[in-house]
Amino acid sequence: MTDWQALQQKSFYEATARERANGIVDAASFTELAGPRDRMSSPHLPALGEAIEFDDGVVTGVGRVGKHPVFVISQEGRFIGGAVGEVHGAKMVGIFQLAQQAYAQLAAKGADSLAERLPAVVISFETGGVRLHEANAGLLAHAEVMDQIQNARGKFPVIALIGSKIGCFGGMGFVAAATDLIIMSELGRLGLTGPEVIEQEMGREEFNASDKALVYRTTGGKHKYIMRDCNQLVEDSIGAFRTALASALQQPYAEIARCRRIGSEALVDEQLALAELSCEIQPQDARDVWAYFGNADAAAIPEQTTADFLRTVRRRP
Amino acid sequence: MITEESVSWDSLLQDTRARLAAAAPYVQAGKQVAAADAVKLLEAVLRPGDKVNLEGDNQKQADFLAGCLCRVDPAQVHDLHMVQSVLSLDRHLDLFDKGIAKKLDFSFSGPQAGRLAEYVRAGKLEIGAIHTYLELYGRYFIDLTPRVALVAAYSADRNGNLYTGANTEDTPVIVEATKFKQGIVIVQVNEIVDQVPRVDIPADWVDFIIQSPQPFYIEPLFTRDPALITDAQILRAMMVIKGIYAEYGLQRLNHGIGFDTAAIELLLPTYGEELGLKGKICSYFALNPHPTLIPAIESGWVRSVCCFGGEVGMEEYVKARPDVFFIGPDGTMRSNRCLAQTAGHYALDIFIGGTLQIDRYGNSSTATATRIAGFGGAPNMGCDARGRRHATSGWLRCGEEYGLQQEMTGGLPRGKRLVVQLQETFREKMTPGFVEELDAVQLAKNAGLALPPVMIYSDDLTHIVTEEGIAYLHKCADMQERMAAIRAVAGYTDIGLQEDPQETAALRKRGIFKTAEDLGIDPARANRSLLAAKNMRELVHWSKGLYTPPARFHNW
Repeated sequence: MTDWQALQQKSFYEATARERANGIVDAASFTELAGPRDRMSSPHLPALGEAIEFDDGVVTGVGRVGKHPVFVISQEGRFIGGAVGEVHGAKMVGIFQLAQQAYAQLAAKGADSLAERLPAVVISFETGGVRLHEANAGLLAHAEVMDQIQNARGKFPVIALIGSKIGCFGGMGFVAAATDLIIMSELGRLGLTGPEVIEQEMGREEFNASDKALVYRTTGGKHKYIMRDCNQLVEDSIGAFRTALASALQQPYAEIARCRRIGSEALVDEQLALAELSCEIQPQDARDVWAYFGNADAAAIPEQTTADFLRTVRRRP
Repeated sequence: MITEESVSWDSLLQDTRARLAAAAPYVQAGKQVAAADAVKLLEAVLRPGDKVNLEGDNQKQADFLAGCLCRVDPAQVHDLHMVQSVLSLDRHLDLFDKGIAKKLDFSFSGPQAGRLAEYVRAGKLEIGAIHTYLELYGRYFIDLTPRVALVAAYSADRNGNLYTGANTEDTPVIVEATKFKQGIVIVQVNEIVDQVPRVDIPADWVDFIIQSPQPFYIEPLFTRDPALITDAQILRAMMVIKGIYAEYGLQRLNHGIGFDTAAIELLLPTYGEELGLKGKICSYFALNPHPTLIPAIESGWVRSVCCFGGEVGMEEYVKARPDVFFIGPDGTMRSNRCLAQTAGHYALDIFIGGTLQIDRYGNSSTATATRIAGFGGAPNMGCDARGRRHATSGWLRCGEEYGLQQEMTGGLPRGKRLVVQLQETFREKMTPGFVEELDAVQLAKNAGLALPPVMIYSDDLTHIVTEEGIAYLHKCADMQERMAAIRAVAGYTDIGLQEDPQETAALRKRGIFKTAEDLGIDPARANRSLLAAKNMRELVHWSKGLYTPPARFHNW
């Protein structure tokens, strides 16, 4: 394993799940749980003649950020595109259960100690959603994780980090949307139906998935930040994600929970108003939306550095 | 006895005149023909059995004219003999499906290789031969001269002067062969202008110009996204730079297409710089404008690049670096595949590229039993140019090391081109990169070819580089030794498993086989942090914003 200092400089986009898991918490604080040595691999893939991984494509464990125990889920896109199968999903759920136990123990020690050492679940997404080889188990896993996120509400934060090669798509796009806070880099991509599937279903005229610039304009970090689907946009380094995570955890829980995009009637109204707006302005491209929200030179946005973009961007009010 | 009247010395010319007269009703002002009349024009000028060049280059495609040719009446126009370097569009094969064409002489068929093999089996298509580019161009002037050429240009003026610009490619050689044997030249152009930026083809070599409804299709064939380069490719690239480029001081090179050579290009400003090799290697290239070469150019490594074709998105960058690229008086690049291939054959010290299969003797091929892929230019660059008579140090050194030198020339000094194959012992889907017998042999039987399509013959191959190390094959004294050296680099393939460790140790002692460690390379350093650019966007930054990647590579 590369040393922690070097990991901070490393591109989050290029990093493996294990590098991300180690790098987003404090130095040498990460302990992997249910790791490759435990050989929890998919029982379904061998039946289909497919290769397995001993971690089933997800790194799970616990580390520290300051005084906060941080329960980490980090998906590995290099294994079946980070798709979620039965074991992969069970490991995710297990991490939430550990976080609940830690929460209960800390809560028993009193409110002050709890606030100071409030646990968090952090998910570094890199996935296309359900693993089709074990689709029913994978779907069930999605529902269970959703359930866990709801169980965590009012207790401790669930934070999404999105900036890896595969992005975050399919059912896991819903899961990410259900978290409290989403931190992305501009290389991160977030959506429900993946670009290739949209093209397949709706035709190339509707969405040309090989037009990578179009894909980024529609699902990439900058667009999601303008739309407020993403709460914070950071540079593409593990260190930048860690810094953003650390400063988020310094906020009181109520502040973090305020970043949620779903979960109240007011937020439902806001989403519905947005749907109405889209019918009204009939955007042909994300650039139309950016311009509508006050970004005069919308065409220049993809070429801007993250720093320049953050300095000048106008977001959805 | 032949009478005076029966001898005609200008029958071709008279035939051409008759065809041009038949086309007259469709000609508007000057040489212009409306796109809507293009099919009728083709029916007027084509005769059954004609040799026809339908410009299909490695990159540029006369796609509109290809579509029109597919729509001619097969009762009227049939059994054409297509002579063209590249088969890349569906339409190129549709012609054979419809019975409009029957015979084919070509060089490369990458994207259509599967369908081509299928058509040969089904008897829809008869292959004359699979050529190298230079070989086919040569035959345009001997026995495969096109009667009619259908070519593509960026623009034409009203007289028919053509601008073919960065993607000039095959056009000059096709038009020259056709027109100077009284043939007919029809051009599709993206636009008709008052004045072309420069004259790439003069108007009197052109018979008809048609403004195409769409700009001609062009494939960004040589763009490789650095984000997809693997650590294994970086290791091979480090071995090449240190164990071959630096070892022989190679200054004049061609890089084949692929991620391995892209990795080499992206290591020059980092690893190459670290080894102090700037100015000592890689100064001159015969190469398409590879975007991955930008960092090396910007760091002052590259003095000159001669291009076979253009590359989509590189136009402005190339224009802004006239010291490096070949630029016309108008400021834009001109490529000429025929001349660049000549340069590639005679003026280079090394060819390096990848392949699909290498057999136990060192013959290699990209053909498989069900795909007729052809060669393109690789065999002309991937061979020892036997006519070469100028000396460079790397070329001489390779000749000195040549194990058969004494036997072949009695010890007279003669150099040797380095021909290097980069190979993974196992390729995608775990197919072995080393095999007992090339699929090309079976393909030749299946398709009734007189010659198995071998890309590079063993006697031309000097080096193989795999993750196991480098085999310096040319140093071997005989075939037995050569086969042992191949086994040494063949890893866990069936060929590699036949390795005799003692034999390999002996080869290692003599410098015929070297591992990364032998070369002083730490494999742990072979990772992506060594790349001068890790993604497309960093290439754009290196180019100072001059390179504009096509949409499919604009991944941000």
